[in-house]
Parts: sequence; structure tokens; C-alpha cells
Amino acid sequence: MTDVRMPEAGPSGSPAAERDERGTGSPGRSADPAGSAFGLADWLRWGWRQLTSMRIALVLLFLLALGSVPGSMLPQEGTNPAGVQQYFTAHPALAPWLSRLGLFNVFGAPWFAAIYLLLFASLVGCVVPRTFRLAGSARMLPPRAPRYLTRLPRSAEYSTALPPAEAAEVSARVLAGHGFRLRRPADGVFDGHWVSAEKGYLREAGNLLFHLALLGVLVSVALGGLFGYKADRLLVQGTTFADTQSDLDEWFPGRLVTAADLGPFTITLNRFEASYITSGAQRGQPLSFDGQISYTAQPGGPVRSYNLQVNRPLSVDGAKVYLIGHGYAPVFKVTDSRGQVVYDQATPFISGSSGNFLSEGVVKVSGAQPEQLGFTGVFVPTAVEVNGVLQSAFPAADDPAVSLIAYAGNLGLNDGVPQSVYQMDTAGMRQLTAQPRLLLPGQSLKLPDGQGTITFTGYVPWVSLTITHDPGQLPALICGMAALGGLLLSFMVRRRRVFVRARAADQADPAHGSTVQVGGLARTDASGGFEDEFASLAAELRAAHQQAAAPIQAGHTQHEGE
Amino acid sequence: MFKAKRRLVVLAAAALAAVALAVVLLSGWAGGGNSGVTDVAGNPSAVLYSAGHRPVAPDFTGTTLTGSRLSFSSYRGRVVVLNFWGSWCAPCREEAPTLAVVAQQYRQAGVSFLGVDVRDNTASALAFVRDYGIPYPSVNDSGSVITLDFTAVVPIAGTPTTLVIDQTGHIAGAVFGTATYTELSDILAKVTGKAGTS
Repeated sequence: MTDVRMPEAGPSGSPAAERDERGTGSPGRSADPAGSAFGLADWLRWGWRQLTSMRIALVLLFLLALGSVPGSMLPQEGTNPAGVQQYFTAHPALAPWLSRLGLFNVFGAPWFAAIYLLLFASLVGCVVPRTFRLAGSARMLPPRAPRYLTRLPRSAEYSTALPPAEAAEVSARVLAGHGFRLRRPADGVFDGHWVSAEKGYLREAGNLLFHLALLGVLVSVALGGLFGYKADRLLVQGTTFADTQSDLDEWFPGRLVTAADLGPFTITLNRFEASYITSGAQRGQPLSFDGQISYTAQPGGPVRSYNLQVNRPLSVDGAKVYLIGHGYAPVFKVTDSRGQVVYDQATPFISGSSGNFLSEGVVKVSGAQPEQLGFTGVFVPTAVEVNGVLQSAFPAADDPAVSLIAYAGNLGLNDGVPQSVYQMDTAGMRQLTAQPRLLLPGQSLKLPDGQGTITFTGYVPWVSLTITHDPGQLPALICGMAALGGLLLSFMVRRRRVFVRARAADQADPAHGSTVQVGGLARTDASGGFEDEFASLAAELRAAHQQAAAPIQAGHTQHEGE
Repeated sequence: MFKAKRRLVVLAAAALAAVALAVVLLSGWAGGGNSGVTDVAGNPSAVLYSAGHRPVAPDFTGTTLTGSRLSFSSYRGRVVVLNFWGSWCAPCREEAPTLAVVAQQYRQAGVSFLGVDVRDNTASALAFVRDYGIPYPSVNDSGSVITLDFTAVVPIAGTPTTLVIDQTGHIAGAVFGTATYTELSDILAKVTGKAGTS
């Protein structure tokens, strides 16, 4: 919230209606002039003035910024519930208090909403009266020309052979030609020959556009918060997912979003390819990510293809699907003690902080007999051994390998408590292999005591997708641009007034010529330049008067010559 | 002065109304009417839809875990229990024994059970079916296409979800989440008008 009005520059009578409504708003100023008691209505009025004052708006804006700080410093329930739990464990004394203050859910906290709504009210309270004022100001004619124009900040005086009425007429034509709004003496009231002209009404329009656009930005953000959603999904090459709550990995709906609002599209990842720089200092840096997908906008709809890239999201059904990450899913086939194939699928492994896509994951074989089997593993796309430790030398799968530790026992799945597919609780299991076992594609690990076999059959890539729907995004962009445009307008356009008064040089003989006074003032001369504009206008007026007077002068000369 | 005051009052009222509206919107006052839906066994996630409020179950075709084609329309005229599950889903494991038992008990009453295996892979799913002695077929829905169709008519938030579809192909009851024996047999008793036979 910035008030772009500048202090009044000139001494011209500024009408009361144009008083800056975002003043200090002190009780004294708005108090009853009679000096009676300061009643409830006055307090309310004072409070309203305060709320809609620029100072309070700035304070609220600052508070809004300040209030969002804990949102980025502390883990938030919406985006990182596990982080919140960890924080509770790490700070058992502090965390409940922070939670009571809503600091783990800042953007949903009542105090945050209070700031937001007060700022909203402040803006509305500022902009609405301003709209009325501008409407009035836009219709308003410039004031009547002052009597003595030489007292204005800029003035010029010259004499012309034209009679006063004609001189005023010519001035009006010149000023109108420059886009000035004119005011002439009223009919039937003779108070001299004068022209009032004003220009720069766009300034107020720009000012208003700025305020309205800011309001629009707030509304857009609210729109996004209420009706938008964000979701994440990990998609293995060759598989399909549907944009429905049950098939998303994570879903963060806006306040007024229900599962029914999700666009019913499906996306299949046909192929994903990543390429990397293979030599030089930049070796291993990604060159391109390229996801070939096919999708349907609604069930049974036509299947379309799309090439998904990092900054090339898919727009489908009002949502945007972004490619935000990728990784490897090694394919394992597990047979149990009976020789039954109980597991045969690509299992996404997640790359951690260690580079070159050294990825970790778990394989939970819940259907194995006589006991459930579990494996914790590391996948490396390009395997190298450094001091006996498996590492990855390159992010591309040039020489893939997995290293597995096998477990048998109870995975803890049968109790009905949901588990992460990326973590395994080994509390109810015993380790079958003392050392991690390295497998290359096609190789198998035979488990002891005939418990079964696991085969590393290959790998496929996976991508992580983020699906966002933010109905406020486009309006926010438009409003942001409009706010900038309005601000520029209000900074660059000056409101300036030019007055012309013509008096008969000889009161007895108005036809004998007149003295022309031109006065001017810029009401808000922030960027300067009015001086030059006035000088050129005055020169032009003078030239126009001289040109118009030429035939008269010629006539005079003829008279004199006779 | 008086006029200014009145304008101020109007403005203040307008602002208050705007704030009130925003508060209402932010607090998510968007609850829809729940007519025609009653809870089962005191659990709001187990519901019965009364006649006239039963959504039409979408038709679908698919491949079963054993590789044969299955068309849902071939079940028309029978009460069907449609269970959305996955072998990776822990609550599905918890309810699997219940489903196997209820499926046996309501076989006499003419109730068919059908599984929709969501986001799964065949080897693990078949192991699940073997382990729990699931006596009915399941359709592979690894791409959630069938789930998506049903989500359009009932709010399926995840697995497990169990739908009871009446003889006319309308969804008469649903359990969102782990189905208990009581919930499932209550719904089936009301929909079929018969008790299960053990």
C-alpha cells in the first residue's frame, strides 16, 4: 500500500473534497467542531479512519510479511506433517506452545486471517471513497482563473493587438488543441475575458487503478487459497495414474476444494529420458529431461500425447502438471519358499543427498510364505566401489547395480496401520544376510534356508509430478501488471493548470488591443518539466495571438498610411 | 457533517459485510446437505443411501488378476459388493479376512463380491488373494481408471473403500475406510433383506 499522492504543490484553492483522506486521521481532526463529548460514533469513526489510514495499512502489510516468516522457518502441518512431529519430539516443551499460537499452520491461523482481513478492510475502506472522489474529480472543471496571474509560480505577460474577447478565444483554441480541459466565463456573468485549463486527469485514474489492482491481487490470492489445490504423484515409466484423491501421493486442497473438484484426467508415462554432460568440469550436470506422456482429459476421452519438460508443464482440465524430479525404480522379482512369484514390480527408490542418484528404497514382500520378506536396498546408476563402499559415479544408468540386505519376519502391515512404501519397520524382522549383497541386472540372491530368491531384473525411470490448480494465478498477474501501470501513470502524469486572462490595453477602446497574462502551476510536479512545458505553451499562445492579430495590424498600418 | 456520517456508516456496514463474507468463506462454510444418507453402526464413514438417493454405479470392463475379461454389466440384477483394495495397503490387509467371511456368508443370499485392485501389481495381488483365501475375482485397476469413474459418484478418498450396489445397479451403501463385520453385514442385511448364512 503506497500512497502515490504528492503534497499539493501550488497555492491554488484545492477544494475540500480533494483533501488527502489518508492523512493522520487524528481524533482531534475529526472531532466535532463544537467540542462536544467524544461519543461511541466518534470512536467508531476514528477507528475507521485509523484502519483506512496509510500508516495502518503499511503496518498491516508489514505484519503480514512478518507473520509469514514462521511459515518458512518452522515445519508446517500442510506441507510437512512429519517435520512437525519431529519438531515436537525435539522440542517437547516449546512445541505445544508454538502449536497453540498456530505457528505450525501459519496460513490457517486465526491471527494470520485477522491481519489479512484487516488489510483487506483497510484497502477497501481506502479505495471505495477514493473511487467516489475520483469520479467527482474527473467530472470537475478547473477553477476560475485567478485575478492576477503573475502571482502564480509560472507566468508570462505580453500585449497583443487583438481585442480581449478574441485573445481569450484564440487562447482557448490553442489550449484545447493541447488536450486541456477548459473552463470559460459563464454566460450572462461578465467577469473579464479568461480561460482556465487543466490537464493530467489520468494521474488520478492511475492512482485509482493502482489501488483497485492491489485489491485485485489480494482477491486473487484469496481465490487461489480457497479454490486452488496442489498435489504430488510419483509415476513410474509405463504406468498410469488418475487425478483422484485415492491415486495421489499427497494432496493439499484449498479451503473450498473437495475431492470432487479434481479434474478427472489420467496420465501415462510412456518414456522418460534424462541426458547429462559426459565430460569436463560440468560432467554429470543435467542437459535435458524429457517425459513422453499420453493423457486423457476425462474418462473415455481421446488420448493425447505431450512432451513434458522441466519448464513445460501440461495444462489439462484447469490444472497444470509440472515435471519436478526423477529417479530410478529397480525391478525385482521375488519367489518364496513354495516357488511362487510373490513380487514382480518396479520399485521406486529415492535419491538422497549423496549425488549421482545413489538411491535408497525398500522392497516389502507381504505375500511371501512361510514368512514375509523385506529388503532394504541401495540403487546406483553407475556403480563404483570406493574403499569398499558402493557409490555412484554418474547420474545416468551406465552400469546399474543394487545392494540389498534381506529380512524375514513380520512387516507390520497386517495390523492395518498404514505405512510409507519407502520405509520398512524391521522391528519384527530378522536380518537374513549379514552383509549387503551387490546384484547386477539379471543376478539373483538366494535367501538362506530355502526362504526364496530375489532377482534384480532391471530398472525403469520414474518422474515426480506436481499438479497445481490456482484459479488466482492469472488474475493476480493481470492485477499486478495493472498495479504497475497505474503506479507509472500516477507518477508520470502531472496535473497542471494554465490560465489566460486578457484585459483591454486601453479601457476606453477595447478594439485597440489587450494585455495578455498567462499563468500556470503544476499541482504535483514530482518529475519536473512543467517549467519547460509552460514556457513553450506561453510562446505558442503568444505566437497564435500575433498571427491572429496580423490582419488587424496590417489594417492599422494601412490606416496610418492613408 | 450529517451526510458525511451517513456515508461513513454505509461504508462501515459494507466493509463489515465484506469481512463477514470472507470469514464465512475462509471457515469453509460449504457443507452440503446430507439428505438420503444414514450412518451405519454409528460410524459416519459407513453409510446407507435411501431409495431415490442412490447414485448409479458406472459400468466398467477390465481384466481380472487371472487374466480373463470381466464386464461389470454382467453382474446386473444381483447385489454386488465392490471392494477397492491393494496388496500394499495395510488397512486392506486388516479387513481382508472380514471380506472373505462375509462373501461366504452372503453367497446363499445371492450377493456377489468383486475386488478392484488399485495401484498394484499382479504378482503381489495374487499372493494377497492366496494368503487371505479371497473367494471372489478382482479386476486390475493399476491406472485407477475404474476408481476415477466411481469417484465421480461417491467420494472415494483411498483404499480400502467398499461399495454395496443393489440389483438395479445403484450404490446403496458404502464403507469409506476399513470395513468391519458389523458395518458390512448391517448394510447387506438392509439391502438384501436377508441375513447371512454361516
